[in-house]
Amino acid sequence: MKKRDYYLTAISLILLIGFIFYADNNMDAYMVRILNLCAIYTILGLSMNLINGFTGLFSLGHAGFMSVGAYVTAILTLSVNAKVQNFFLKPIAAPLSNVVWPFFPALLLGGALTALVGFLIGAPALRLKGDYLAIATLGFAEIIRVIFTNTQTITNGALGLKGIPAYTNLWWSFGIAIFTIVTMILLINSSYGRAFKAIREDEIAAESMGIDLFKHKVLSFTIGAFFAGIGGGLLGNLLGTIDPLMFRFTLTFNILLIIVLGGIGSITGTVISAFVVTIAQEALRFLDQSINLGFVVIPGVAGMRMVVFSILLMLVVLFYRHGLMGTNEFSWDKFLNVISMKKPLLKGGRK
Amino acid sequence: MEILRSDNITMQFGGLTAVKDFNLTLNKGEIVALIGPNGAGKTTAFNMITGVYKPTNGKIYYKGSEITHMAPYQITKLGIARTFQNIRLFKDLSVLENVLIANHLHIKSNVFEALLRLPKYKNEDRKMMRKSLELLEIVGLADEKHEKSSSLPYGKQRRLEIARALATSPELLLLDEPAAGMNPTESEDLTKFIRQIRDDFNLTIFMIEHHMQVVMGISERIYVFDYGITIAHGSPKEIQNNQRVIEAYLGVDENA
Repeated sequence: MKKRDYYLTAISLILLIGFIFYADNNMDAYMVRILNLCAIYTILGLSMNLINGFTGLFSLGHAGFMSVGAYVTAILTLSVNAKVQNFFLKPIAAPLSNVVWPFFPALLLGGALTALVGFLIGAPALRLKGDYLAIATLGFAEIIRVIFTNTQTITNGALGLKGIPAYTNLWWSFGIAIFTIVTMILLINSSYGRAFKAIREDEIAAESMGIDLFKHKVLSFTIGAFFAGIGGGLLGNLLGTIDPLMFRFTLTFNILLIIVLGGIGSITGTVISAFVVTIAQEALRFLDQSINLGFVVIPGVAGMRMVVFSILLMLVVLFYRHGLMGTNEFSWDKFLNVISMKKPLLKGGRK
Repeated sequence: MEILRSDNITMQFGGLTAVKDFNLTLNKGEIVALIGPNGAGKTTAFNMITGVYKPTNGKIYYKGSEITHMAPYQITKLGIARTFQNIRLFKDLSVLENVLIANHLHIKSNVFEALLRLPKYKNEDRKMMRKSLELLEIVGLADEKHEKSSSLPYGKQRRLEIARALATSPELLLLDEPAAGMNPTESEDLTKFIRQIRDDFNLTIFMIEHHMQVVMGISERIYVFDYGITIAHGSPKEIQNNQRVIEAYLGVDENA
């Protein structure tokens, strides 16, 4: 990396910190909530992109991973009082009733346990390929949800958890999002990241080049699950209430939408797309209400904006399969070229 | 010195016997060719040696130890590398990345050391990079190192595949039709190139090839397959005059 790029990166980080500081103090709760969601979806998108985009494993178990992280973090951070209030059908299992952890260790344990679940699911499921893997992981995610619905004394079952302390603020969500981005960049550009990409490109060739397919697939899956768990934990402590129904397939679909729109196999694409999709989902809320076009009134249908997203996804898959960024990544060189409207130099600096 | 030996390896797919009782011996430093008409089972034999298929019968020994039931990646780690008949590069990745990936199998740093860019990993990474650039220099692809591998012309893709196989630090290199689709000049270059890498990297080379010009010019011994059966084995001269080989290639004259 050139010296100039260091400076530019440092300056943009300072600008970002300044923006978070400003937003934290001056923006209303609604805007702050949206920004938090943007950052959390960035984390979730990146974790899914590692598995689906970089390693080429078509996994649809993300909602399951998120629920593990969300529940672990929520149960560990709920105050003793809130636990008593929540668990009125059956009291919470003994050791958990008095445990109250600070946010960060709770989040880390949430991530770690999700990674463990990812490992346990991955070990059998990753022997499958393609569509079969997708179906198996989808099934596992549903199994996790059903288990959470039925473990009344641990997760409060279908009643869900309420009054989760709202620890997630812009500093946590953006801090962890940046940590995730940096980790992904370091991972993807390491020898292990190259091995992941080799598996995505051609499994037979990768194995012939001495790459232990199973080990690397499980590795990618476990790391992805870890960050999905962290993202889930942040989400739970942002919303303040979680229940098993939240973690249905639609949630996985939302994240899949982000990575497909952004470009499967692009960190930059995922980050941009997480922000665009999250903000658009709010901006398009007017679609859910009735619209008066002057000559005709379209009655409001809840969920209308999801139709728009579905159509958008279809259009991308049909006509623009590489998404926003394809497998390209952001670089200061390209960025400066774009803003100064220069023609990009050819390889080797030829004009 | 013997480096690879197979004892009566047989591969059956249901009722079809693709390879029957193949006894192969490769000595260190040799260049040996496997020839035969299309569908004779040559690539199947390759796939058995590299662990892609498990032989129905028989055993394979590499440097004295059995490798019959090992996974392909384990066999590559032991020192057997291969190229593919229908080029299998990592298409969307750059030429350099293709070669770098083949260095990964010998990595000693774990994923955390790699993530944190600890000196141990950095050192390994630097070595990988140096070795890969050297290999690209040797195969003459140094100028194209940042190109997407699928954008290379066919002949260069073949050479990239060889460079990639060499990056795994093999002692035995299996080449599946390296001269396929090459014109006479190109295949002459290839012959020289194969000899050169054999000497430079102390390799033993076992190759499948159809170009008789290449095969006869380069190999010290030749095995001939027909319908999965080894019909002949010997020096190029012996093979050229072998009646069964001529029949297998040219057919039998019914009126004779």
